[in-house]
Amino acid sequence: MEKHASVYGILLSVFLFFLYSCTPESCKEETVTLLGATFYRTGTGKTGAPDSVTVFGTGKETSPLYKNATGKPVIYLPLDPSSGECSFILKINGINDTIKFIYNTFPHLVSKECGYTFFHNISGCKFTENIIDTVFVTNKRITTQNEENIRIFY
Amino acid sequence: MKKTFVFFTELLILCAMTFPDAIGQDTISFPLKIRIGADLYGPAYYYADKNTFTIEGFFSIDRDTLKSWSFDAGYSRFEFEQYNYHYNCKGVFLCSGIEFNVISPESSRGKYFAGAGLKYGMSYYTHEIPFLKSENYWGNVNISVKPSSQLAHFIEASPGIRTEIFSNLSIGWTIRLRILIYSGTDRDMKSVYIPGYGNGTKSFSPGINYYLVWSIPYKYLKLRKRNH
Repeated sequence: MEKHASVYGILLSVFLFFLYSCTPESCKEETVTLLGATFYRTGTGKTGAPDSVTVFGTGKETSPLYKNATGKPVIYLPLDPSSGECSFILKINGINDTIKFIYNTFPHLVSKECGYTFFHNISGCKFTENIIDTVFVTNKRITTQNEENIRIFY
Repeated sequence: MKKTFVFFTELLILCAMTFPDAIGQDTISFPLKIRIGADLYGPAYYYADKNTFTIEGFFSIDRDTLKSWSFDAGYSRFEFEQYNYHYNCKGVFLCSGIEFNVISPESSRGKYFAGAGLKYGMSYYTHEIPFLKSENYWGNVNISVKPSSQLAHFIEASPGIRTEIFSNLSIGWTIRLRILIYSGTDRDMKSVYIPGYGNGTKSFSPGINYYLVWSIPYKYLKLRKRNH
C-alpha cells in the first residue's frame, strides 16, 4: 500500500503542475517590428550619433519618428506592412536624404496571447547621397528583436 | 477549475481505498484484456469552453500482466478569437505506444491500473487565419491567411490510473505530458493549436483525459501467489 501511496503522490504532483500550466497568460512579448539602422562615420568605421536627426515617413511629414533627436547612434524604423516598399526622409545634421526600402512582408506568430505581427525581408534599398555616403544591409530579416538591419555611413 | 481539482482528488482517494489485498489462494487467475475506451473530458470541456472540441478514443491490448500496447485516436477542432486575430484549426491525431502498470498482478488482477504510458503521436491538421489585424505607424492592415495542412509529430508520457467499477467496465484518468518534435510549420507561421497535442507555440503541452473503458478478456493466466 506504501508503494501505491507514492504512486498517487507523484500523480497528484503532476496534476498540480498541470493546473499551474493551464493558467491563462497575458501578452508579454514584444509585438512591434522595427528596422534597426546604425549610424557610422565614413572613414572611421565606428558608430557615431549625428548631432541631430529627424526622421519621418514619406507622406507623413506631420508625424515624425524622431525630431531633432541627439545622441542616437541607432534609430528604429517601422516598415509599411500593406505595401512592398516605403520611404523615409532622414534629416541628418540639417541635410535631407531619402531612403527607400523594398521588401516582402509575412505574418509571424508571436504567441497565442499576443497573436500575429508582420515580419519583413529586405530585398533592396535605394537612397540619395546628400549627406549619406552609403547604406549596407547587414540583416535582411526584420523582426521584433530590435536588431541592427542596416548601417548608414555619413 | 477548483471543482475539477476536488473531483479528481476525491477520485484518487477513492481508488486508493479500493485496491484489494491478495486473498488466500495459491494461484490466482489473471485476465489479459483488450480495452476500448472513450474520453469523457473532451466533450465535457466543450461545455465550459466552446472554442475547443475534442473526441478521443483508446484501444489497448495486454502484452503481459504489466505491459500493454496502446493506441489513441481522435478528432479535434479549435477556434480562437481576440481583438487582433481569428484562428481556426481542425484535424485528426493518432498516438501509439506502450503502457506500464506498476501495480503487481496479484493486486491488480487485471482490474486496476496505476502507471504510465510512453507514446509517439502524429497529428494531421488544417489551420487558417480568417482575420488578422495589425496597426503601426503607417496605419492598419487587415489580411487573411488561407487554410494549409500540416503533419506534426510529438512524444507523450501519460501517467494515470484506472479502476474497474463494474465487471469489465472501468473508469480512470490520464495526465498527458507531451513534447513537440515537429509542428509541420515554418518558424513564422507556427500553429496556435495542434490537435492531439495542444498549444503549438510551446514545446511542452500538458493535457488530461478521463476515460470510460470497456474490457474484453481474451486469455487467462494462472499466477502463483507470492508468500508474504
